[in-house]
Amino acid sequence: MITRKTAKTFAHRNRMGMAVVLALLGVGSGILFSGGGEGNWNNLRLSSARLISVEPLPQSFPEMDGAMCEWVPASASGSLFASLQQATPDERAAEREAIRQRKPLRIIKDRYASFSAVAVDPVRDEVVMADESLFQLLSYDRLTNTPPTASMSEPKRMIGGLDTKIDYICGLYIDPGSGDIYAINNDTVDTMVIFDRDAKGNRPPTRELYTPHGTYGIAVDEAAQEIFLTVQHDSAVVVFAKSAEKDDPPLRYLQGENSGLADPHGIALDTERGLIYVANFGSVHYHDATLDNPSRPMYSRGEGKPNWPLTRNSAVPGSGRFYPPSITVYDKNAKGDMAPVRVIQGPKANLDWPTGLAFDPVANELFVTNDMRDEVAVFDGDAQGDVAPKRVLRGAKTMIKNPTGVWVDRVNSELWVASFGNYTATVFPLNAAGDVAPKRVIRSGPLGRQALMIGNPHPVAYDTKREQILVPN
Amino acid sequence: MAHPQIAAFARLADGNDMPVRKIEGQKTKLGRTMHSIIYDPAHDELSVTQDFAHAVMTFRGDANGEDGPIRIIQGPKTRLNGPERHTVDWINDEILVPQGDEIIVFSRTDNGDVAPKRIFKGPDTKLGADALAVDPVNNLLVVVGPYEKEGLKIRMYPRTAEGNTKPLRQVGGPKSMITRLGGPFALYPPKGRIIMTMRPREVGVLGGDDSFTGVWSVFDDGDIPPHWTIGGPNADLIMPRGVALDEKNKTVIITDKRLNAILTYHFPEIF
Repeated sequence: MITRKTAKTFAHRNRMGMAVVLALLGVGSGILFSGGGEGNWNNLRLSSARLISVEPLPQSFPEMDGAMCEWVPASASGSLFASLQQATPDERAAEREAIRQRKPLRIIKDRYASFSAVAVDPVRDEVVMADESLFQLLSYDRLTNTPPTASMSEPKRMIGGLDTKIDYICGLYIDPGSGDIYAINNDTVDTMVIFDRDAKGNRPPTRELYTPHGTYGIAVDEAAQEIFLTVQHDSAVVVFAKSAEKDDPPLRYLQGENSGLADPHGIALDTERGLIYVANFGSVHYHDATLDNPSRPMYSRGEGKPNWPLTRNSAVPGSGRFYPPSITVYDKNAKGDMAPVRVIQGPKANLDWPTGLAFDPVANELFVTNDMRDEVAVFDGDAQGDVAPKRVLRGAKTMIKNPTGVWVDRVNSELWVASFGNYTATVFPLNAAGDVAPKRVIRSGPLGRQALMIGNPHPVAYDTKREQILVPN
Repeated sequence: MAHPQIAAFARLADGNDMPVRKIEGQKTKLGRTMHSIIYDPAHDELSVTQDFAHAVMTFRGDANGEDGPIRIIQGPKTRLNGPERHTVDWINDEILVPQGDEIIVFSRTDNGDVAPKRIFKGPDTKLGADALAVDPVNNLLVVVGPYEKEGLKIRMYPRTAEGNTKPLRQVGGPKSMITRLGGPFALYPPKGRIIMTMRPREVGVLGGDDSFTGVWSVFDDGDIPPHWTIGGPNADLIMPRGVALDEKNKTVIITDKRLNAILTYHFPEIF
């Protein structure tokens, strides 16, 4: 660790070329090294541990009490350095090649599939799960039930690999007519991929649609042949024709301060009443179409396309806000900066990272997965304001852990919950409440084990105090 | 990505080892797209950017569960505009945020809607600021990013650069192998090391084995090859992103987006 004192002393040494002694934490011994006058710190040789301070070299060493580690002779490192200097170019190249191919000491990685989303095909009695850990779509028989003694159930088909363009899939939909699988890539790919129902292995998608950056949830209006997608990064809902592909532009979009959209995740439709439900985490910034900051890339393929939501290059600096989580409800044809017709929000609603949404049109009920509360909360379809859910599915028996996906199977009167936190998809009656055991379970990992939930690890930091590796998703 | 979190793994964690603690939940105000995290050992704090909410958030070093941030820089005066990366200079008590053609600088302890204490911006700067780090030993600000048609380069500036300051020197070009920045990079100031990942050269691919982690120097100038690399053809990395250093144990910790993994390499040569 570099301390203020260290840095100042290093800087002073740079200027003055004076000798210093580094006090090194963990070994209790000092390492003497000399510095050249050019201030080139590449010539410094540190042989140990964590640098915590720098002290000027005294004129003479004072008497020292207590145990003292053996001094490393200055000649030792000098000899090593000299020997390195004497290496031939071929030897140095061989050393660099060996370093290039060096294997990691350790790899933190979840080796089991983690279910982030679920969709049911009641026509063909299949269920499809999105796996964000290993980048796959997994198709199972709908009635699969993993025995408690089994470590996992084998899927009937798997789609995955670099050619599939499957990365961090958060949203799934299955076309009831064709059985085609629609999968939403959140971040990194900006492409919705569509596979026919027999697809398997590492093969390109049957169809692709280029989307705004950071799409999360998907809902489809089969009667209108429209696809609704939420856009996390720029807080929007974008609507495409269901048949859209590649560079086809959206039909319309919803975005802006009045819309109340704020880091939207799950989306559900009530096509009978003509409503859109959106789950919002609450983080948001705003845009101004007159701004165009070329140094802030769009991160998507919308340039020149009509009805494309405003992106980061027209973000208003300093416009960021944190709002409480919410469920916002819109007219199905809402566009522009239209306000929601209703909002569910407040302490009684008890939302905590509301992520997945599904709607049951028969019972007029909205199912919300609260990721951090390990629960599915069920609201009346007409709920408004600070209102409590009419029932909650939660508890150890449910096996629900960090649920991020939910699906209402009206044909079989079943509720499916994808728990990202424990390799589990669980099936309940639609009216299940409280701490009840699921009717069936599909597991992709050992019973009772929690998933790492690593997703798109990008930066990393090392906590020197606790000796911990800090990894944000 | 379904679930935002900051997971803390034990140094020796391997395979499916669980994190020893996690920061997650509504009260944390975390979102996905945390493209920067800094641990400040001097004050035992950690800091992340919040892209969606135009914020920089600081947590206690031992934050756990739904512990919220202890400070948030956010608001109209801040100029924050989708901050992706940042650094904390705990020696000089500053937070620096790269924003394309500008770098804005806050006091480390700023909280709320505060204006930057200085702004580094202008045509002579050649910013391009995608990622940055401060070298307090050599008193340098190291910035990586593209500038117009010059492509991606490392540029060294005086640490306190502001206004229209020119770079002191820059590293880039075909020999340098600096092509597509993987993510935030690390410095080892006592030896002037720059440790940085490069993602595949081909745009749009999900992974490629030409990805690598390279080591350059803050004293390099011009089209200088990396002093060492880890990865490249027929090695392990396919989409490396961030880098952290464990000086005590002489290791480099690298994230790989497509492996969805965190890899720890023994790399004593750089320390």
